[in-house]
Amino acid sequence: MPHLKAPTRFLLRGSALLIGLLTLWWLVLLDPMLSALQCGGDIAARLVFGGKSGEFMREDASRNWTFRVPKRIVVPASRVMAPPQQVDSIDFDVARTDVIGFTFSLPVFWAVILAAPGWRRNLRPLLAGTGLIALIELILLLIFAATSAHKAAAAILSAPMGAFETWLLNFSDYLTVLVVPYLAPIVVAFAVHHELRRNVFGWTTRDKQPAKSSSISNSSIGAGHSRKTRSVRVHRRAL
Amino acid sequence: MNANSRWNVPAAGRNIRPVKFALIVFSCFIFGSAVLLTVPVQRVDRLFTQGLVALSHKIITICGGHATRQGAILRSPGGFAVEMRDGCNAVNVTILLCSAVFAFPAPWKMKALGILGGATLIQVVNLFRFITLFYLGQYSMPWFEFAHAYLWESLIVLDTVVVFWYWAMHVLRSGTVVNTPDFNASP
Repeated sequence: MPHLKAPTRFLLRGSALLIGLLTLWWLVLLDPMLSALQCGGDIAARLVFGGKSGEFMREDASRNWTFRVPKRIVVPASRVMAPPQQVDSIDFDVARTDVIGFTFSLPVFWAVILAAPGWRRNLRPLLAGTGLIALIELILLLIFAATSAHKAAAAILSAPMGAFETWLLNFSDYLTVLVVPYLAPIVVAFAVHHELRRNVFGWTTRDKQPAKSSSISNSSIGAGHSRKTRSVRVHRRAL
Repeated sequence: MNANSRWNVPAAGRNIRPVKFALIVFSCFIFGSAVLLTVPVQRVDRLFTQGLVALSHKIITICGGHATRQGAILRSPGGFAVEMRDGCNAVNVTILLCSAVFAFPAPWKMKALGILGGATLIQVVNLFRFITLFYLGQYSMPWFEFAHAYLWESLIVLDTVVVFWYWAMHVLRSGTVVNTPDFNASP
Protein backbone atom coordinates (compact mmCIF):
# COMPACT_ATOMS: atom_id res chain seq x y z
CA MET A 1 0.00 0.00 0.00
CA PRO A 2 1.49 3.39 -0.96
CA HIS A 3 2.41 5.80 1.84
CA LEU A 4 -0.34 8.41 2.00
CA LYS A 5 0.01 11.91 3.34
CA ALA A 6 -1.73 12.76 6.62
CA PRO A 7 -4.51 14.86 5.03
CA THR A 8 -5.29 12.10 2.52
CA ARG A 9 -5.41 9.47 5.27
CA PHE A 10 -7.68 11.75 7.28
CA LEU A 11 -9.93 12.31 4.26
CA LEU A 12 -10.22 8.61 3.43
CA ARG A 13 -10.78 7.53 7.03
CA GLY A 14 -13.17 10.42 7.66
CA SER A 15 -15.20 9.74 4.50
CA ALA A 16 -15.52 6.02 5.30
CA LEU A 17 -16.50 6.77 8.90
CA LEU A 18 -18.99 9.43 7.79
CA ILE A 19 -20.68 6.99 5.43
CA GLY A 20 -20.76 4.26 8.10
CA LEU A 21 -21.80 6.36 11.08
CA LEU A 22 -24.37 8.46 9.20
CA THR A 23 -25.95 5.29 7.80
CA LEU A 24 -26.06 3.82 11.32
CA TRP A 25 -27.61 7.07 12.56
CA TRP A 26 -30.19 7.13 9.75
CA LEU A 27 -31.23 3.50 10.20
CA VAL A 28 -30.83 2.89 13.94
CA LEU A 29 -29.93 5.88 16.10
CA LEU A 30 -32.33 8.50 14.74
CA ASP A 31 -35.41 7.68 16.80
CA PRO A 32 -33.58 7.31 20.14
CA MET A 33 -31.75 10.55 19.47
CA LEU A 34 -35.00 12.35 18.64
CA SER A 35 -36.44 11.09 21.95
CA ALA A 36 -33.35 12.37 23.77
CA LEU A 37 -33.68 15.70 21.96
CA GLN A 38 -37.31 15.88 23.02
CA CYS A 39 -36.41 15.29 26.70
CA GLY A 40 -33.49 17.71 26.63
CA GLY A 41 -35.47 20.29 24.66
CA ASP A 42 -38.35 20.10 27.11
CA ILE A 43 -36.11 20.76 30.10
CA ALA A 44 -34.19 23.54 28.36
CA ALA A 45 -37.37 25.18 27.05
CA ARG A 46 -38.87 25.22 30.55
CA LEU A 47 -35.75 26.97 31.80
CA VAL A 48 -35.63 29.48 28.95
CA PHE A 49 -39.25 30.08 27.91
CA GLY A 50 -41.16 28.82 30.95
CA GLY A 51 -44.33 26.82 30.31
CA LYS A 52 -45.46 23.37 31.37
CA SER A 53 -43.55 20.12 31.29
CA GLY A 54 -43.86 17.96 28.18
CA GLU A 55 -45.42 20.68 26.03
CA PHE A 56 -42.46 22.07 24.14
CA MET A 57 -42.25 19.50 21.33
CA ARG A 58 -44.42 16.54 20.43
CA GLU A 59 -44.38 14.11 17.54
CA ASP A 60 -47.70 13.81 15.72
CA ALA A 61 -49.21 10.85 13.87
CA SER A 62 -47.61 11.89 10.57
CA ARG A 63 -44.18 11.84 12.34
CA ASN A 64 -43.83 15.62 12.03
CA TRP A 65 -43.31 17.70 15.15
CA THR A 66 -45.45 20.30 16.89
CA PHE A 67 -43.71 22.94 18.95
CA ARG A 68 -45.37 25.09 21.61
CA VAL A 69 -43.59 28.23 22.70
CA PRO A 70 -45.07 30.32 25.52
CA LYS A 71 -45.44 33.85 24.16
CA ARG A 72 -47.93 36.39 25.45
CA ILE A 73 -49.34 38.76 22.83
CA VAL A 74 -52.63 40.67 22.56
CA VAL A 75 -54.42 40.41 19.24
CA PRO A 76 -56.42 43.61 18.68
CA ALA A 77 -60.14 43.49 17.85
CA SER A 78 -61.02 43.08 14.21
CA ARG A 79 -64.08 42.39 12.04
CA VAL A 80 -63.47 38.69 12.29
CA MET A 81 -62.71 38.67 16.01
CA ALA A 82 -64.76 41.22 17.96
CA PRO A 83 -63.05 41.40 21.38
CA PRO A 84 -59.28 41.68 21.68
CA GLN A 85 -57.74 38.35 22.56
CA GLN A 86 -54.73 37.38 24.56
CA VAL A 87 -52.50 34.69 23.13
CA ASP A 88 -50.58 32.70 25.73
CA SER A 89 -48.60 30.38 23.53
CA ILE A 90 -47.90 29.74 19.88
CA ASP A 91 -47.93 26.30 18.29
CA PHE A 92 -46.26 25.57 14.99
CA ASP A 93 -45.62 22.38 13.05
CA VAL A 94 -42.17 21.54 11.77
CA ALA A 95 -41.42 18.85 9.18
CA ARG A 96 -39.60 15.79 10.54
CA THR A 97 -36.71 16.40 8.14
CA ASP A 98 -36.05 19.77 9.76
CA VAL A 99 -36.09 18.40 13.33
CA ILE A 100 -33.75 15.58 12.31
CA GLY A 101 -31.18 18.27 11.48
CA PHE A 102 -30.78 18.93 15.21
CA THR A 103 -29.48 15.41 15.86
CA PHE A 104 -27.12 14.69 13.01
CA SER A 105 -24.10 16.70 14.19
CA LEU A 106 -23.19 13.97 16.68
CA PRO A 107 -22.40 11.16 14.19
CA VAL A 108 -20.50 13.66 12.05
CA PHE A 109 -18.45 14.71 15.06
CA TRP A 110 -17.72 11.09 15.98
CA ALA A 111 -16.56 10.40 12.42
CA VAL A 112 -14.21 13.40 12.41
CA ILE A 113 -12.69 12.55 15.81
CA LEU A 114 -12.30 8.86 15.00
CA ALA A 115 -10.63 9.76 11.69
CA ALA A 116 -7.72 11.22 13.66
CA PRO A 117 -5.12 8.53 14.50
CA GLY A 118 -4.81 7.02 17.98
CA TRP A 119 -7.92 5.42 19.46
CA ARG A 120 -6.82 5.92 23.06
CA ARG A 121 -5.91 9.57 22.57
CA ASN A 122 -9.26 10.18 20.88
CA LEU A 123 -11.41 8.89 23.73
CA ARG A 124 -11.27 11.99 25.90
CA PRO A 125 -11.95 14.49 23.09
CA LEU A 126 -14.72 12.17 21.91
CA LEU A 127 -16.51 12.34 25.26
CA ALA A 128 -15.94 16.06 25.81
CA GLY A 129 -17.01 16.90 22.25
CA THR A 130 -20.11 14.72 22.44
CA GLY A 131 -21.31 16.75 25.43
CA LEU A 132 -20.46 20.02 23.70
CA ILE A 133 -22.23 19.05 20.47
CA ALA A 134 -25.33 17.94 22.39
CA LEU A 135 -25.37 21.33 24.11
CA ILE A 136 -24.98 23.19 20.80
CA GLU A 137 -27.83 21.19 19.27
CA LEU A 138 -30.09 22.10 22.19
CA ILE A 139 -29.19 25.79 21.88
CA LEU A 140 -29.87 25.70 18.13
CA LEU A 141 -33.24 24.07 18.76
CA LEU A 142 -34.20 26.81 21.22
CA ILE A 143 -33.06 29.58 18.85
CA PHE A 144 -35.03 27.96 16.04
CA ALA A 145 -38.15 27.74 18.22
CA ALA A 146 -37.79 31.34 19.42
CA THR A 147 -37.36 32.81 15.92
CA SER A 148 -40.21 30.69 14.53
CA ALA A 149 -42.51 31.84 17.35
CA HIS A 150 -41.47 35.45 16.75
CA LYS A 151 -42.32 35.18 13.05
CA ALA A 152 -45.63 33.50 13.85
CA ALA A 153 -46.50 36.23 16.36
CA ALA A 154 -45.76 38.91 13.76
CA ALA A 155 -48.01 37.09 11.28
CA ILE A 156 -50.85 36.83 13.82
CA LEU A 157 -50.60 40.51 14.71
CA SER A 158 -50.31 41.39 11.00
CA ALA A 159 -47.43 43.59 12.05
CA PRO A 160 -45.14 44.17 9.08
CA MET A 161 -41.51 43.51 9.94
CA GLY A 162 -38.85 45.95 8.86
CA ALA A 163 -36.37 45.02 6.16
CA PHE A 164 -33.55 44.65 8.68
CA GLU A 165 -35.64 42.53 11.06
CA THR A 166 -36.71 40.27 8.17
CA TRP A 167 -33.12 39.90 7.01
CA LEU A 168 -31.93 39.23 10.57
CA LEU A 169 -34.52 36.50 11.13
CA ASN A 170 -33.72 34.90 7.76
CA PHE A 171 -30.02 35.04 8.56
CA SER A 172 -30.64 33.50 11.97
CA ASP A 173 -32.66 30.70 10.35
CA TYR A 174 -29.95 30.19 7.75
CA LEU A 175 -27.29 29.82 10.44
CA THR A 176 -29.41 27.71 12.79
CA VAL A 177 -30.76 25.23 10.26
CA LEU A 178 -28.38 25.20 7.32
CA VAL A 179 -25.01 26.24 8.65
CA VAL A 180 -24.14 25.55 12.29
CA PRO A 181 -25.33 21.89 12.37
CA TYR A 182 -22.92 21.12 9.51
CA LEU A 183 -19.93 23.10 10.71
CA ALA A 184 -20.18 22.62 14.48
CA PRO A 185 -18.78 19.05 14.40
CA ILE A 186 -15.63 20.23 12.63
CA VAL A 187 -15.18 23.30 14.84
CA VAL A 188 -15.75 21.32 18.04
CA ALA A 189 -13.39 18.59 16.81
CA PHE A 190 -10.64 21.18 16.39
CA ALA A 191 -11.50 22.71 19.75
CA VAL A 192 -11.28 19.48 21.75
CA HIS A 193 -8.64 17.54 19.80
CA HIS A 194 -5.40 19.48 20.10
CA GLU A 195 -3.39 16.99 18.04
CA LEU A 196 -5.74 17.37 15.10
CA ARG A 197 -5.66 21.14 15.47
CA ARG A 198 -1.89 21.15 15.70
CA ASN A 199 -1.50 19.10 12.57
CA VAL A 200 -3.93 20.97 10.39
CA PHE A 201 -2.77 24.44 11.39
CA GLY A 202 0.77 23.66 12.43
CA TRP A 203 0.12 24.98 15.94
CA THR A 204 2.55 23.32 18.28
CA THR A 205 3.52 25.29 21.33
CA ARG A 206 0.34 27.05 22.40
CA ASP A 207 -1.97 24.11 22.05
CA LYS A 208 -1.88 23.57 25.76
CA GLN A 209 -4.37 26.40 26.05
CA PRO A 210 -7.88 25.44 27.10
CA ALA A 211 -9.91 23.83 24.34
CA LYS A 212 -12.40 26.68 24.27
CA SER A 213 -9.73 29.04 23.01
CA SER A 214 -10.08 27.97 19.42
CA SER A 215 -13.74 27.22 19.27
CA ILE A 216 -15.90 29.15 16.87
CA SER A 217 -19.14 27.78 18.03
CA ASN A 218 -21.28 29.84 15.74
CA SER A 219 -19.42 29.53 12.50
CA SER A 220 -20.78 27.20 10.01
CA ILE A 221 -21.64 25.69 6.71
CA GLY A 222 -24.73 25.24 4.66
CA ALA A 223 -26.80 22.41 3.40
CA GLY A 224 -29.09 22.22 0.49
CA HIS A 225 -32.52 21.64 1.88
CA SER A 226 -35.09 24.28 2.48
CA ARG A 227 -37.39 24.71 5.44
CA LYS A 228 -40.88 23.31 5.05
CA THR A 229 -43.84 25.59 5.59
CA ARG A 230 -44.99 25.58 9.15
CA SER A 231 -48.59 25.76 10.18
CA VAL A 232 -49.27 27.93 13.16
CA ARG A 233 -51.93 27.67 15.82
CA VAL A 234 -52.50 29.89 18.82
CA HIS A 235 -54.12 29.44 22.18
CA ARG A 236 -56.34 32.40 22.80
CA ARG A 237 -58.53 33.59 25.54
CA ALA A 238 -60.77 36.66 25.55
CA LEU A 239 -59.58 39.56 27.63
CA MET B 1 6.67 6.41 16.35
CA ASN B 2 5.19 9.25 18.36
CA ALA B 3 2.35 11.49 17.26
CA ASN B 4 4.55 14.37 16.21
CA SER B 5 6.73 12.39 13.88
CA ARG B 6 3.75 10.62 12.37
CA TRP B 7 2.06 13.92 11.49
CA ASN B 8 5.31 15.67 10.67
CA VAL B 9 4.36 19.14 11.87
CA PRO B 10 6.41 22.00 10.45
CA ALA B 11 7.80 24.26 13.15
CA ALA B 12 6.75 27.43 11.34
CA GLY B 13 3.23 27.13 12.66
CA ARG B 14 4.32 27.62 16.24
CA ASN B 15 3.82 31.34 15.89
CA ILE B 16 0.19 31.23 14.84
CA ARG B 17 -2.26 32.16 17.58
CA PRO B 18 -5.34 29.98 17.56
CA VAL B 19 -7.71 32.46 19.21
CA LYS B 20 -7.02 35.27 16.76
CA PHE B 21 -7.16 32.88 13.84
CA ALA B 22 -10.53 31.55 15.01
CA LEU B 23 -11.92 35.05 15.55
CA ILE B 24 -10.85 36.20 12.09
CA VAL B 25 -12.29 33.07 10.44
CA PHE B 26 -15.53 33.48 12.38
CA SER B 27 -15.88 37.20 11.52
CA CYS B 28 -15.05 36.68 7.85
CA PHE B 29 -17.43 33.75 7.58
CA ILE B 30 -20.33 35.59 9.23
CA PHE B 31 -19.66 38.65 7.05
CA GLY B 32 -19.45 36.55 3.88
CA SER B 33 -22.63 34.63 4.72
CA ALA B 34 -24.48 37.85 5.53
CA VAL B 35 -23.41 39.40 2.23
CA LEU B 36 -24.46 36.21 0.41
CA LEU B 37 -28.03 36.69 1.64
CA THR B 38 -28.35 40.25 0.29
CA VAL B 39 -30.55 40.76 -2.77
CA PRO B 40 -27.89 41.78 -5.35
CA VAL B 41 -25.54 38.94 -4.37
CA GLN B 42 -28.44 36.47 -4.44
CA ARG B 43 -29.05 37.45 -8.08
CA VAL B 44 -25.44 36.65 -8.98
CA ASP B 45 -25.66 33.49 -6.86
CA ARG B 46 -28.67 32.26 -8.85
CA LEU B 47 -26.84 32.84 -12.15
CA PHE B 48 -23.84 30.94 -10.81
CA THR B 49 -26.11 28.07 -9.72
CA GLN B 50 -27.66 27.90 -13.18
CA GLY B 51 -24.17 27.78 -14.66
CA LEU B 52 -23.29 24.81 -12.43
CA VAL B 53 -26.44 22.97 -13.48
CA ALA B 54 -25.64 23.68 -17.15
CA LEU B 55 -22.16 22.25 -16.63
CA SER B 56 -23.56 19.16 -14.87
CA HIS B 57 -25.98 18.69 -17.77
CA LYS B 58 -23.12 18.91 -20.24
CA ILE B 59 -21.04 16.34 -18.30
CA ILE B 60 -23.99 13.93 -18.13
CA THR B 61 -24.62 14.32 -21.88
CA ILE B 62 -20.95 13.85 -22.77
CA CYS B 63 -20.82 10.68 -20.65
CA GLY B 64 -23.81 9.29 -22.52
CA GLY B 65 -26.52 10.05 -19.95
CA HIS B 66 -29.90 11.58 -20.66
CA ALA B 67 -31.24 14.69 -18.98
CA THR B 68 -32.92 17.95 -19.83
CA ARG B 69 -32.18 21.27 -18.16
CA GLN B 70 -34.45 24.16 -17.35
CA GLY B 71 -32.72 26.96 -15.44
CA ALA B 72 -31.41 25.40 -12.25
CA ILE B 73 -33.52 22.25 -12.69
CA LEU B 74 -32.19 19.01 -14.11
CA ARG B 75 -34.83 16.53 -15.28
CA SER B 76 -34.46 12.84 -16.10
CA PRO B 77 -36.43 11.13 -18.90
CA GLY B 78 -38.26 9.17 -16.16
CA GLY B 79 -39.73 12.36 -14.71
CA PHE B 80 -37.45 12.84 -11.69
CA ALA B 81 -36.23 16.41 -11.37
CA VAL B 82 -33.70 17.99 -9.06
CA GLU B 83 -33.21 21.70 -8.49
CA MET B 84 -29.95 23.19 -7.31
CA ARG B 85 -30.82 25.83 -4.73
CA ASP B 86 -28.83 28.23 -2.63
CA GLY B 87 -26.85 26.03 -0.27
CA CYS B 88 -26.46 23.27 -2.87
CA ASN B 89 -23.93 25.24 -4.89
CA ALA B 90 -21.11 24.93 -2.31
CA VAL B 91 -20.77 28.71 -2.11
CA ASN B 92 -21.05 28.56 1.68
CA VAL B 93 -18.17 26.12 2.07
CA THR B 94 -16.19 28.24 -0.39
CA ILE B 95 -16.79 31.23 1.91
CA LEU B 96 -15.54 29.09 4.79
CA LEU B 97 -12.39 28.15 2.89
CA CYS B 98 -11.79 31.78 1.88
CA SER B 99 -12.21 32.88 5.51
CA ALA B 100 -9.70 30.29 6.75
CA VAL B 101 -7.18 31.08 4.00
CA PHE B 102 -7.61 34.82 4.58
CA ALA B 103 -7.02 34.40 8.32
CA PHE B 104 -3.90 32.29 7.88
CA PRO B 105 -0.63 34.26 7.96
CA ALA B 106 0.53 33.59 4.41
CA PRO B 107 1.70 35.90 1.61
CA TRP B 108 -1.14 37.33 -0.50
CA LYS B 109 -0.01 35.43 -3.58
CA MET B 110 -0.30 32.14 -1.67
CA LYS B 111 -3.68 33.19 -0.32
CA ALA B 112 -4.92 33.98 -3.84
CA LEU B 113 -3.66 30.61 -5.08
CA GLY B 114 -5.26 28.84 -2.12
CA ILE B 115 -8.62 30.49 -2.68
CA LEU B 116 -8.63 29.92 -6.46
CA GLY B 117 -7.34 26.35 -6.33
CA GLY B 118 -9.42 25.40 -3.30
CA ALA B 119 -12.64 26.88 -4.67
CA THR B 120 -12.09 25.04 -7.97
CA LEU B 121 -11.52 21.73 -6.18
CA ILE B 122 -14.60 22.21 -4.02
CA GLN B 123 -16.72 22.99 -7.08
CA VAL B 124 -15.44 19.88 -8.85
CA VAL B 125 -16.48 17.77 -5.84
CA ASN B 126 -19.82 19.59 -5.76
CA LEU B 127 -20.48 18.83 -9.44
CA PHE B 128 -19.80 15.16 -8.73
CA ARG B 129 -22.16 15.40 -5.74
CA PHE B 130 -24.94 16.96 -7.83
CA ILE B 131 -24.67 14.37 -10.58
CA THR B 132 -24.64 11.44 -8.11
CA LEU B 133 -27.70 12.91 -6.37
CA PHE B 134 -29.45 13.23 -9.74
CA TYR B 135 -29.01 9.49 -10.33
CA LEU B 136 -29.64 8.47 -6.72
CA GLY B 137 -32.96 10.35 -6.73
CA GLN B 138 -34.13 8.26 -9.68
CA TYR B 139 -33.40 5.14 -7.66
CA SER B 140 -34.69 5.96 -4.15
CA MET B 141 -36.17 9.14 -2.67
CA PRO B 142 -35.46 8.32 1.01
CA TRP B 143 -31.81 7.62 0.22
CA PHE B 144 -31.71 10.75 -1.93
CA GLU B 145 -32.90 12.77 1.05
CA PHE B 146 -30.31 11.15 3.31
CA ALA B 147 -27.45 11.67 0.86
CA HIS B 148 -28.56 15.17 -0.11
CA ALA B 149 -29.22 16.71 3.26
CA TYR B 150 -26.72 14.89 5.45
CA LEU B 151 -24.09 12.67 3.86
CA TRP B 152 -22.86 14.77 0.96
CA GLU B 153 -23.02 18.00 2.96
CA SER B 154 -20.80 16.50 5.65
CA LEU B 155 -18.42 15.07 3.06
CA ILE B 156 -18.08 18.46 1.38
CA VAL B 157 -17.24 20.11 4.71
CA LEU B 158 -14.64 17.40 5.34
CA ASP B 159 -13.22 17.96 1.84
CA THR B 160 -12.98 21.68 2.54
CA VAL B 161 -11.02 21.00 5.73
CA VAL B 162 -8.64 18.72 3.85
CA VAL B 163 -8.18 21.25 1.01
CA PHE B 164 -7.27 23.86 3.62
CA TRP B 165 -4.98 21.37 5.36
CA TYR B 166 -3.04 20.72 2.14
CA TRP B 167 -2.76 24.43 1.45
CA ALA B 168 -1.64 25.25 5.02
CA MET B 169 0.89 22.41 4.89
CA HIS B 170 2.26 23.84 1.65
CA VAL B 171 2.51 27.34 3.16
CA LEU B 172 4.18 26.08 6.35
CA ARG B 173 6.67 23.91 4.51
CA SER B 174 7.56 26.69 2.07
CA GLY B 175 8.59 28.75 5.10
CA THR B 176 6.64 31.77 3.93
CA VAL B 177 4.43 32.21 6.98
CA VAL B 178 4.03 35.95 7.39
CA ASN B 179 5.13 37.15 10.79
CA THR B 180 2.42 39.69 11.48
CA PRO B 181 2.04 41.09 15.01
CA ASP B 182 -1.47 39.67 15.13
CA PHE B 183 -0.30 36.14 14.81
CA ASN B 184 2.95 36.28 16.70
CA ALA B 185 2.25 38.29 19.81
CA SER B 186 2.62 36.35 23.03
CA PRO B 187 -0.63 35.24 24.59
